[in-house]
Amino acid sequence: MKNRRFSFKLWANVLVLVAFLALSVFPALSSVAEELPAPAPSPSGLPDGITAVSGNLNSSDVTDQKSVLTETGTFVRAINVPGEKVYLISSDSTYAPFEFQNEQGVYEGIDVKIMEEVAKEARFNFEMKFPGFDAAVQNALSGQADATMAGMTITAARKEKFDFSAPYYETELVIGVKKGNSVNVHDFSDLKGKTVGVKIGTTSAEWLTKHQDQYGFAIKQYDTADQFYSGLQIGALDAIMDDAPVMGYAIVKGQGIEFATEKIPNGEFGFGVPKGQNAELLKKFDQGLTAIKGNGTYQRILDQYTAGSDSSSISGTADESTIWGLILVNKDALLNGLAWTLALALLSFVLAFIIAVFFGIASYDKKINQMRPWRQVLQKLVTIYVYLIRGVPLLVLAFFIYYGIPQLTGQSLDVFFAACLALTLNCSAYLTEIVRSGINAVPRGQKEASISLGLRYYQRLFYVTLPQAFKLMMPSFINQFVISLKDTTIVSVIGVVELLQTGRIIVSRNFESFQVYLIVGVIYLIIITTLSLIAQRVEKKMS
Amino acid sequence: MVDKMIEIKDVNKHFGDLHVLKDINLEVDKGEMIVVIGPSGSGKSTLCRTINRLETIDSGEIKIDGEVLPEEGKELARHRSEVGMVFQSFNLFAHKTILQNITLAPTTVLKKNAAEAEEEAMKLLTRVGVAEQANKYPHQLSGGQQQRVAIARSLAMHPKVMLFDEPTSALDPEMINEVLDVMVELANEGMTMIVVTHEMGFARQVASRIIFMADGEIQEIAKPNEFFENPKSERAKDFLSKILHGAKEGE
Repeated sequence: MKNRRFSFKLWANVLVLVAFLALSVFPALSSVAEELPAPAPSPSGLPDGITAVSGNLNSSDVTDQKSVLTETGTFVRAINVPGEKVYLISSDSTYAPFEFQNEQGVYEGIDVKIMEEVAKEARFNFEMKFPGFDAAVQNALSGQADATMAGMTITAARKEKFDFSAPYYETELVIGVKKGNSVNVHDFSDLKGKTVGVKIGTTSAEWLTKHQDQYGFAIKQYDTADQFYSGLQIGALDAIMDDAPVMGYAIVKGQGIEFATEKIPNGEFGFGVPKGQNAELLKKFDQGLTAIKGNGTYQRILDQYTAGSDSSSISGTADESTIWGLILVNKDALLNGLAWTLALALLSFVLAFIIAVFFGIASYDKKINQMRPWRQVLQKLVTIYVYLIRGVPLLVLAFFIYYGIPQLTGQSLDVFFAACLALTLNCSAYLTEIVRSGINAVPRGQKEASISLGLRYYQRLFYVTLPQAFKLMMPSFINQFVISLKDTTIVSVIGVVELLQTGRIIVSRNFESFQVYLIVGVIYLIIITTLSLIAQRVEKKMS
Repeated sequence: MVDKMIEIKDVNKHFGDLHVLKDINLEVDKGEMIVVIGPSGSGKSTLCRTINRLETIDSGEIKIDGEVLPEEGKELARHRSEVGMVFQSFNLFAHKTILQNITLAPTTVLKKNAAEAEEEAMKLLTRVGVAEQANKYPHQLSGGQQQRVAIARSLAMHPKVMLFDEPTSALDPEMINEVLDVMVELANEGMTMIVVTHEMGFARQVASRIIFMADGEIQEIAKPNEFFENPKSERAKDFLSKILHGAKEGE
C-alpha cells in the first residue's frame, strides 16, 4: 500500500491516447457517415469520402437528365425519378460475381447491374445495401428493406415468405477440384470417400446432403465461401461444390481450381419482396427485366461477369497477389474498416463507461451506513442487469437487437446503432463490475476520514472515493477496452463493415485469404499490443 | 447544561450477537480531556466512533453541545464537521498532497475560498511542524508526520471536540512523542478531547479524567492519580498490573 500517489500523468496519457484515436477516426468516419443513405440525395450532394466513387452511368441513354447513379463502398443508389420513393434493396456482401466490391471499393456484379438497368427501364429509384445474405433476407422480412436481390434461388420454402419476380438467372451447381485434378474426380460417383466443402445453408449444401448416401462422400460446411476455397487449396478438402458462376469467377480470378463434373441445373434466381407487400415494385421489376432481356442489355451484363468467355473485364488491372499490392489497392477500404472498428469500440466503450459509473456507484457495498430501501432495490436491479447481460452471448444480443426488436416494434434500426447498442450493453455489464469492485477496493479509512470531516455523500464520491477507485481500475479499463475492440468483430456479422468484414469482402473478390487476413490480423495486433503496453506501464506506475 | 460538550445516555450497541456497548452513560464538560483505556475488545474504540456516528447505536442518545446527533443527511454531515477525528492509521487522502488534504474539507464543506484555506492550512502545518512537507504526498512522510498532518486536517474544520482513536498505536516508538506533544499542546489550549490510547504516561499527565472500559461497560471513571494509585474495580486492578508491569520491564 505504498505509492498511493495519484498520477495526473497517467490520466494525461490516457487522454492523449483517446484524443489520438478520436482524431484518427473522425475524418474517416465523417466521410463514411456522408455515404450513409440520405432520404433525398441531390447530384450536388454526392459523397466525397475516401472510398466514394460517384458518377453517372450512361445517363445520356436516359431521357430524363436528372437521373443519378451513386456507387460507393457501402451502397449503390440510383435516382431515376427525383422526388419519388427510394426503394431499399438488401443484398449479400460477398457473392461474386453477383455482388462484390471491386478494387476501387465499389460494389458491382450481375445483381447490381441488372438492378441498375431494370430501374432505369422501369423508372424507379432504389438504394441497394450489402449487409450479407442472412442479414439481407432478415432485413426484408423485418421491414428494414423493401426487397432482396441477393442471388436468391426461388424455392418453395422461400415462396412462403417472399413474392418472387420472374427468374432473372438460371443457375447451375458444379463440383470443383484443385487444378490438375489429382483426386481424379470426373463424375459424382468418383466422390466416394472424398470430403466435399460447401457454404452452409446454400442449395449446394442441400444437394450434397440429399446425395450423400448415394455417392458416399463426406460434407464439410463453412460459413463463407473463402473458407472452403482455402480449404481446397490447403488440401483439407478434396472437392468443393458451389454455384457454377461463382466458381467460374474464382477460376477467372486465378484460383487454382477447375470444374470437375457436369453442371447440375439448380433453379433460378429471383428478385423477392416480402410476401404480400410492395406489389408495385415487383411489377416494375418484371417490366424492366423483360425490357432489358429484349434489348440485349441483359446478355451484355451476363457476358461481362460469367466465367470462361471474356475475363479481362473483371479480372482487374491492380496487382493483388502480393501483400504490398493488396495494401496499396485496399488501403482506403482497410482504413475505412479500421475507422469503423475504432468508432464502434470507442463509442460503445465511452457509453458503457458512463452507464458503468452510475451502476457501479449504485451497487457497491456500502458498509458504513445502513442502506436506504430505494438503494437496496437499485443494487438488486443492477445485479440483475449484470447477470442478464453477462449471461447472454454478445452475438445473440446483437441478433436480438437488430433482427428481433424491429419485428416487435415495426421500426427498423440502423445497423451501426444496433451494433453499438449491443456492444455498449455487453461492455457496460463488465465495466459495472470493474467500477463496483474498484470502489470497494478503496480503503475504508479513506471513506471514514472524509465522513468525519463532514463531507457529504456526493462530495465523498467525487473528491475521495472515485479518484482513487479510477486509479485502481485503470488497468482493468484498458483490458476491457481491448476486449471491446476484439468484440467488434463479433457484431460485424449483422453487417457492419468494420475491419474484419472489410477483409472478408476483399477476400470474396480476390480469394487471397492468407494475405488479407494476415494484414487484418496485424492491424488488430498493432492496436491491441499498443494498448496492452500502455496498460502494463500504467500498472507498473501504480505498484 | 451549556457547559456539557458531550452527553451520552443509555447507549447500547450490538455487533450481531456481541453486545459491544452496554448502557453507556458519560458526560464530558467543555475543555475536558478524557482518556479512555481498557483491554482490546472492551468497546473503547467503538464508543469513540459512535460520537460522530461512524458507528450507529441501537438505543440511547448522544448529544453534542446540547444537540442530539441527527441520524443522516445534511445535519449529520454538519455535526460531523464539528467533531474532529484522528485515526490509528492516519487515513490521509492518498491521492492528494499534504496541503490538499487539509484544504479539501474547508473548501468543500465550509465553502472557504482556496487562498484563504491554504493560508490557514500552512499555519496549521507550521503549528504541527510539517510545513515543509506541504507539497508532498502522504506516502512520502513518516508515520509521525502523517499523524500530525491528520490532526492539522481535523483542526482546519475548527471542531468543538476532537476524537483520537488510538492515535499512536501504529507508530514506531521514536515517533510517538512528536504526536503526543501536539496533543498535549491542544489540551492545554482548552480543546475538548476524547482520547482512546494505551499511553499510560500521557494519560496520567494530561487527562482530566480516566475512563476505564472492559467488556463493553464503563467500569470506572476517575481522576488520573486516583485511578493509577488506587483503582477500585477488579478489572482495572488486573489491567493496570499487567500494563505497568510490562512498562517497567520495558524501561
